[in-house]
Amino acid sequence: MELLKKLEILANAAKYDVSCSSSGSTRKNKAGGIGNSYFGGICHSWSEDGRCISLLKILLTNYCIYNCAYCINRASNDIPRAYFTPDEVAELTINFYRRNYIEGLFLSSAVITSPNHTMELLTETVRKLRTNYNFNGYIHLKAIPGADLELIKEAGKLVDRMSVNIELPSATGLKLLAPQKTQETILKPMAYINSQIQEHREDRKSRRRAPHFIPAGQTTQLIVGATPDNDLNILRLSEKLYQSYQLKRVYYSAYVPVNQHPKLPSISQPPLLREHRLYQADWLLRYYGFKAGELLDESQPNFDPELDPKTDWALRNLHFFPVEINRADYETLLRVPGIGVRSAQRIIRARRVRAVTFENLKQFGVVMKRAQYFITCQGKYEGQTSLEDKLLRQYLIAKPRSSQLLLPRPYEQLSLFTDNSGVVPTEVLMSNLTGEL
Amino acid sequence: MLVYLYDGSFSGLLTVIYESYYRREKPELIIVQDKWEHALFTREVVIKTDEQKADKVYQAILTRISGFAAKNIYCVFLAELPGTERLIYDYLARGWKWGDKLDLHLADEVVLKVQTIARKVRNEAHRMLGLVRFRLLSQELYYAQIEPDYNILQMISPHFARRMADQNWIIHDLKREMAAVYNQTEWFLTPLPRSVSVSLDEAGLAYESLWQKYFSSIAIKSRQNKRLQRNFMPKKYWKHLVEMMEDN
Repeated sequence: MELLKKLEILANAAKYDVSCSSSGSTRKNKAGGIGNSYFGGICHSWSEDGRCISLLKILLTNYCIYNCAYCINRASNDIPRAYFTPDEVAELTINFYRRNYIEGLFLSSAVITSPNHTMELLTETVRKLRTNYNFNGYIHLKAIPGADLELIKEAGKLVDRMSVNIELPSATGLKLLAPQKTQETILKPMAYINSQIQEHREDRKSRRRAPHFIPAGQTTQLIVGATPDNDLNILRLSEKLYQSYQLKRVYYSAYVPVNQHPKLPSISQPPLLREHRLYQADWLLRYYGFKAGELLDESQPNFDPELDPKTDWALRNLHFFPVEINRADYETLLRVPGIGVRSAQRIIRARRVRAVTFENLKQFGVVMKRAQYFITCQGKYEGQTSLEDKLLRQYLIAKPRSSQLLLPRPYEQLSLFTDNSGVVPTEVLMSNLTGEL
Repeated sequence: MLVYLYDGSFSGLLTVIYESYYRREKPELIIVQDKWEHALFTREVVIKTDEQKADKVYQAILTRISGFAAKNIYCVFLAELPGTERLIYDYLARGWKWGDKLDLHLADEVVLKVQTIARKVRNEAHRMLGLVRFRLLSQELYYAQIEPDYNILQMISPHFARRMADQNWIIHDLKREMAAVYNQTEWFLTPLPRSVSVSLDEAGLAYESLWQKYFSSIAIKSRQNKRLQRNFMPKKYWKHLVEMMEDN
């Protein structure tokens, strides 16, 4: 098969994995070598769906022994299949890299023959790139669940980032849609990678020349909307993953209906707004000091389609407001709707030399449309209405823009499990981590 | 009206700052000599660029204000916007007064303007790290054309010298008719006319088709959002992007 056709097939097969960032590594170029990594990551292009392209994201092969219901590459699907040789992958990577199309390689694979065999093929490919081609650019490699931990360790010494995808946020979802996988096989490599990262990091503290191990850390992906898990379960899971496994990122992927299957919900559009809300909440966890339990609870287990999670939280916690811009600490400023990390930092800096006014806030990038109701400047309140107003919520709901994301489209309801066994309890995968059942 | 004329170089501008200080004069207009047309009722002073004086000013910025301020004025200078000389002058005047607290004065019009322009320049430079597209010419030479809004060529070249260390490359700024040239040891700037003719390597074109194929395959059709794509990658850059050439 010609290379062009292979690339088409194996890029198509890889595109539902959303993670593509190239940040977090400081790998340097070597004498006579090519490539280095850029700590903040670099986007090289943007595809028609608006997602950044920073790595060459391909599968080594899409021949798969598994038959997961949600996956386009499931064994029973009648689709064109192909596989790359390690040299083909290396040549593509190097030649794209030399033209500055990419930051590096994101290599994944369907499971061919066995998890161990697949992991060996993946490792052989990246080893070739590093040693034969002297490539020092960014490499993100998938760890194949079920492969021997020793194999994963070997691969980890060569790459910048590794990820194991959880995909389905609950054990029951996994049983239903991917019966050949178990949560144990997913969590084991994750825990192992984390322990190795911590160990190598300790080593590097005492010996500067100790080898790197996955310097950019590990990530994972959760599919949103293929199972009936609610937002609260998903967010709790993410929180736990950040805490217990020190994950760098959890990616959320709106379920794209690629297969017809009685156990899958039949939706016409991927739930993009829901995915967007989860990303907003994820940022609140990682950079704004929020806890999952503050944003959602049993009485409200899903995000409001009309309000962003922070504004929603603020409306439920009016006693927290108004906040005085010139006195509140950084953590408090971050909790004000309309104030982000950058604008909060600007406020903190600017008020060291002069009191900040409403006029200044606009210049600092504060979204006054939202912030005005929740703040005072030197004791003055300039909100269009007061905090006590019952209609405050109405004031805050964003006017729909013509953008695809904000089209007022309610969540697709997941009432569509056609067989009657479809009432799936939603204990999260995490309950097995914490030991609670 | 007092007008200071200089040669358009960064050192020239720093010399202007030096002379203005020691002559105890405040120019109302600072402008590149070539762009200046004589007008009535003006007193013109031609400032001759002096590297030593420029260096003194630069050191003074580092010690009396901050490294951040020094970087800011360099970025603003590279923006090549009309009136930036006077903006830099006013910014430094505040700097001598406020010292290392200069950039905390975000509410000050001049400080805010300097930071805003500097940020735009840095953003474009960062964007260009991703958007430069090399094409393989015969004789193992990689050649890229860019037309950035700001003069960011010298900001991005060190990155490519570190990264593409084992290949010869040229990044050509068509707008300014300047090129950064790298020969596997060092990079340097040199004038290069817009109309220079190049011959592409035939075999190398295969990878351009492969990239185009990859680019179209990786998009998820049911998530199409071209507006978002344009937000991140404005149309003005498409001309030199291999993957967008068909859409032009």
